[in-house]
Amino acid sequence: MANVYIIGGHQTDFARNWSKERKHFVAMMREAMLGTLENAQLDPKDIQVAHVGNFAAELYAKQGHIGAFFVEIDPAFSGIPTGRHEAACASGSIALLAASAEIEAGRYDVAAVVGVEQMKSVDSKTGGDFLGTAAWYELEAKGVDFPFPKLFGKLGDEYDKRYGLKDEHLAAISAINYANAKLNPNAQTRSWFMNYEHAMSRDEYNGAVGGRVRISDCSQVTDGAAAVILASEKFAAEYAKKRGIALESIPRIKGWGHNTARLRFEDKVAESKNAEYVLPHVRTTITDAMRRAGIPDVSGIDAIETHDCFTTSEYMAIDHFGLTKPGESWKAIEEGVIALGGKCPINPSGGLIGAGHPVGATGVRQVLDAAKQVTDTAGDYQVEGAKNVQTLNIGGSGTTSVSFVVGV
Amino acid sequence: MFVSQSALGELKAGKARRALAESRSIKKVVVLGANGTMGFGSGAIFASAVPEVTFLARTKEKAEQGLAAACKMLRTNTIQARVKCGSYDADLERAVAEADLIFEAVTEILDLKREFFARVDAARRPDSLVCTVTSGLSINSLAEGRSDSFRKNFCGLHFFNPPNVIVGTELIPGKETDPAVLDFLEAFAIEKLGRVIIRTHDTPGFAGNRVGFKVLNEAAQLAEEHGPLLIDALVGPYTGRAMTPLATIDLVGWDIHRAIVDNIVELTKDEAHETLELPAYMKELMEKQGFLGRKAKNGFFTRDEDGSKLVLDPKTGRYVPAKSIALPDLSFIKEIAECHRRGEYEKGMALFAKAPGDAAKLARKVIAGYIAYSFERVGECTDTITGIDLIMGMGFNWAPPSVLVDVLGKDAAVAMIEEAGLRVPKLLADAKPGEKLFDVPTINIGRFFVAG
Repeated sequence: MANVYIIGGHQTDFARNWSKERKHFVAMMREAMLGTLENAQLDPKDIQVAHVGNFAAELYAKQGHIGAFFVEIDPAFSGIPTGRHEAACASGSIALLAASAEIEAGRYDVAAVVGVEQMKSVDSKTGGDFLGTAAWYELEAKGVDFPFPKLFGKLGDEYDKRYGLKDEHLAAISAINYANAKLNPNAQTRSWFMNYEHAMSRDEYNGAVGGRVRISDCSQVTDGAAAVILASEKFAAEYAKKRGIALESIPRIKGWGHNTARLRFEDKVAESKNAEYVLPHVRTTITDAMRRAGIPDVSGIDAIETHDCFTTSEYMAIDHFGLTKPGESWKAIEEGVIALGGKCPINPSGGLIGAGHPVGATGVRQVLDAAKQVTDTAGDYQVEGAKNVQTLNIGGSGTTSVSFVVGV
Repeated sequence: MFVSQSALGELKAGKARRALAESRSIKKVVVLGANGTMGFGSGAIFASAVPEVTFLARTKEKAEQGLAAACKMLRTNTIQARVKCGSYDADLERAVAEADLIFEAVTEILDLKREFFARVDAARRPDSLVCTVTSGLSINSLAEGRSDSFRKNFCGLHFFNPPNVIVGTELIPGKETDPAVLDFLEAFAIEKLGRVIIRTHDTPGFAGNRVGFKVLNEAAQLAEEHGPLLIDALVGPYTGRAMTPLATIDLVGWDIHRAIVDNIVELTKDEAHETLELPAYMKELMEKQGFLGRKAKNGFFTRDEDGSKLVLDPKTGRYVPAKSIALPDLSFIKEIAECHRRGEYEKGMALFAKAPGDAAKLARKVIAGYIAYSFERVGECTDTITGIDLIMGMGFNWAPPSVLVDVLGKDAAVAMIEEAGLRVPKLLADAKPGEKLFDVPTINIGRFFVAG
């Protein structure tokens, strides 16, 4: 693939409640994009095309046509080509794929990608119902309270059935994500209380929300936006020259993977009955991205930003990335592989559990964090010496999966 | 650009801070006054980071009530395994002797606190740290009469309520506090307790309450002539705050407000001294009608039986329905809020700087007073404006003064101060035009501008 460079990026503080600030989501897009331009030292007129990732503004904010809101960020954007991309929780990554494809095709040299979601505009039960539209709503979510914790609880059950699964390992995943989030100044939960004992507690403060999934196993309901600027090699080379930096120091998207499985969770599981992996299409997404990046296996990956919408999804990611044999994810947890300072830290940012999960922004936030890691600019949650970081962003119950390898 | 030297510097600073936070062992903490709001709140924060915390109160039962409140605040029962409860009579000396850090949160009465510190001084190990959560009493005065080792290891650690939500925390040395103790406590509080630490001097109200209550009290003074409803609209969320000033006084409590401003008025002399004097009508309502604010279901605002909003008339001491109050044209507030709603904060504040009419002028007077007073306190209350910025942002949830200057532009901010008839602080006058004064890149400044 032609090189696609990441010139700059910015995310909003995911602890903010934009409904309490009484703001429209365009304010979120504006802050993310203006912060990105400042970070990249570019002007609005440098941006040639914009792609917006958003899951469900029609439901949360009764507003469609989200791509067009990019133009409202700055008068200089008037006339710019825009589009909105939706694939549930993978929306941000789909926007990145579209933008990078356009750069690879040579249509444009500079693209902005903004992921955005405003979720605190409704109560948790209504929000849970909206999220149900990421599943096959009529068959899996209609009339069900909090359908997604239940679906990802079933993922845990499937692991339990095939290989055995202990709550202790899920609790450890939760505790690591929350601990990492404390190092991230943009993380939603950075000042919340959480530790392993609490994640293992079974009283009224850590109730079950979907089978084996408890409150401590869940990602957050989050308002937030994240943006990056992608550029062609031609633009990046000029950009580097002008600023006296090496082109090689600018992070780039080295590889990508993208697959879609059947919508219903039970159909996915039925398909994978005799397969090595519980979610084989997710596995293919990960290995496709590695192959395209010229990285033979996970030993070439220094850190991972994965889609821990629930602890069970991170548990699944561990073996699907190849950190352990299928069904042995617990080993990587016990051996300290995934903790910050381990061989391959997962979610140094805190992930969706610790940093937050504004649905349409998550894929962009993951790539932004990957870019920060490989350029040694992640501050207190820096993985020392990281050169290649891989993301995994999942829409639905493992339905749409997208992975990027970002490196220098 | 991701090639950031400052991030590398930050990485090193973070590492050094983490190493410093680990350099002393804080395994046992004692909280005195653990049944009070600040006691159980701070106790909860310690219990989330330290293996053994002892909650002490007049009786063991009261300490246990504090623990129950701490569990409820953190929404976990797991800290019960780390917390022991006891009474002053039965447990203070033994617990203090074993403690690495003693945290005092008893009632804000100087002599009472001194009594406790005398007992702590007699029982503590010479190397243990002692902190007070006082919001207004002098650290030096609290340390008077104590041993050398006590004074060396003693300082203020002022949490704001509720500390699990508000992370801004003031760290205040006494004149004999060992600098190494302060450095350690700062690192420990940041890394282990999740605090944003602001170092202040031992001045009345320190930095946050000095600046914050000046603004609140000025709003209360102006309410006498203009009415609480108008003042809270004028100094409303659109000026950079989550909660309006008079509603804040109602929430804090009139008694607490009075204690804080009386203390500052008595012990300080500054260019805005008269704005800190408690309005006579408040004193009278407190003394004659028992006004306390929300906790007594009175204050500037309350509700009648059917839930509709009532507003105090400070001139008569009676309530009138909010609906019956005629307000001047406040359309400029709506326009500014609409800008904030779209994230156009500069545009919104530019409208504020130029909005016509007496009402807008009054609003600017309060905000100009806030900015000027903050910049004048640099050197007196904190070493830099960043200290005041951080405590106003992370302690009060108000737009920090530097953020207001950055968003307004220096010239507009100076013009606003001049329009209010105030002296332009030298620090602000000397600032280079166009240079950003707020230098904390990890904080989103947009969060302070509420579209209400």
